[in-house]
Amino acid sequence: MDVSVILDNLDYLLLGPWPEGPLGGAALTLVLALCSALASALIGLVLGIALALSKGRWRLLLVGVLGFFRAIPVLMLVFWTYFLLPIVFHVDVPALATVVCALSLIGGAYLAHSVSAGILSLPEGQWHAARALGMRPWQVLRWVILPQALPIMLPSFLNQWVSLIKDTSLAYVIGVGELSFVATQVSNRVMVHPTEIFLFVALLYFVLCTSLDLAAGALARYGGGPRQAR
Amino acid sequence: MFGDLLAPLYLQWLLDGFLLTLGLSALCCLLATLLGAPLAIARLAPSRYGSWPAQAFLTAFRNTPLLVQLFFWYFGVPALLPEALVFWLNSPHELAIGPLVLAWPSFEFLAGAWGLTLYTTAFVAEEFRAGIASVRPQQREAGLALGMTPGQVWRVVLLPQALRTAFAPLLGQYMNALKNSSLTMAIGLAELSYASRQVETETFKTFQAFGLATLLYIGTIALMEALGQVVQHSRRYRQGAA
Repeated sequence: MDVSVILDNLDYLLLGPWPEGPLGGAALTLVLALCSALASALIGLVLGIALALSKGRWRLLLVGVLGFFRAIPVLMLVFWTYFLLPIVFHVDVPALATVVCALSLIGGAYLAHSVSAGILSLPEGQWHAARALGMRPWQVLRWVILPQALPIMLPSFLNQWVSLIKDTSLAYVIGVGELSFVATQVSNRVMVHPTEIFLFVALLYFVLCTSLDLAAGALARYGGGPRQAR
Repeated sequence: MFGDLLAPLYLQWLLDGFLLTLGLSALCCLLATLLGAPLAIARLAPSRYGSWPAQAFLTAFRNTPLLVQLFFWYFGVPALLPEALVFWLNSPHELAIGPLVLAWPSFEFLAGAWGLTLYTTAFVAEEFRAGIASVRPQQREAGLALGMTPGQVWRVVLLPQALRTAFAPLLGQYMNALKNSSLTMAIGLAELSYASRQVETETFKTFQAFGLATLLYIGTIALMEALGQVVQHSRRYRQGAA
């Protein structure tokens, strides 16, 4: 084991060519993960509410669309967005945005089912009571249903975000300079000690994912805080 | 952009890639199941010396990206192994098992299959563990009280119930393994995603190349899902036999 190869390239692994060039390395992985986590949460919330409230034909359609995004490999969707987005919007979409798009669509599709399950886990009486008090449907959702359902869903959000962090490594295949990409760059450049480099990179991912994982475990143990439905 | 169909040559590439994807995933699922079951039991072992290493393995492999793990096995490990062994792994030779003679697979395949197997094992073991943990401890005690040996309790009381609970999540992990096999293209294994990318660069028929590959992936996943539904609705399954 020779740690000097890590120390020599530490800046590059953590930040990429920044500040002379664009941000890269572990910092870009974090940015990618944060953007896709937010976008996937938003997509998951909207589609999950739609899934829980829709019926009949619309529900079937939605289940089909969600099923498509759950069945396609992340890598194939990254290819699709990388190739399709510039054609659809007629502008040069940065590779970074196409990755965020692919990751948040897949994350959102998985989260939609957890959100829908969280909403449906509440007793029907909650809806009836709030409606009887004269609330509009969206008010019921905003003030009665979601405040109770969100704490239940939180662990599955965190779990989804852990796999999201891991999936950001797929940006490698379309040449986005995130952690896995700079790792192969460094490995190709120095030509020695690939073992140390990839172990170190794995360790960085491990720290990121494990801290989120531990948070999920702690949340699950304390049952989502004091605002739980009784 | 949509244009005409792909030439037979390119269809052949995609088909070869698809068969490799299927073979690789099937092999990895099989091995992962065989390795995952004992790992789950070790994880649940009452002694700390049994459960701690299993726990460490699971956390390490679940919390790092498969892509980095594949790079590690493909680029990182050969640097540690003795040169003669790496040469032997890389060179083509024949593997004779009795009358069966198999051609030695490429190093890409070995590294890909090894990496995907270990990654899948960690997830499969976790589903097994959850299944076993879902059986209430009284079931085991009742079995022992009836005079069964611990082995019998496992075989006729715990496992049938645990496997029934774990069936759907396990199937989900097998589907994940199929989808994850696409990552082996990053180390140069010519499976379906690799083939679609290659056809795309050769023909510029992006829609056909990616579309066909996507259809093959989704079709296979849908087929697995349908088979799972058939099993779960069969009488044997519902009556408790796993």
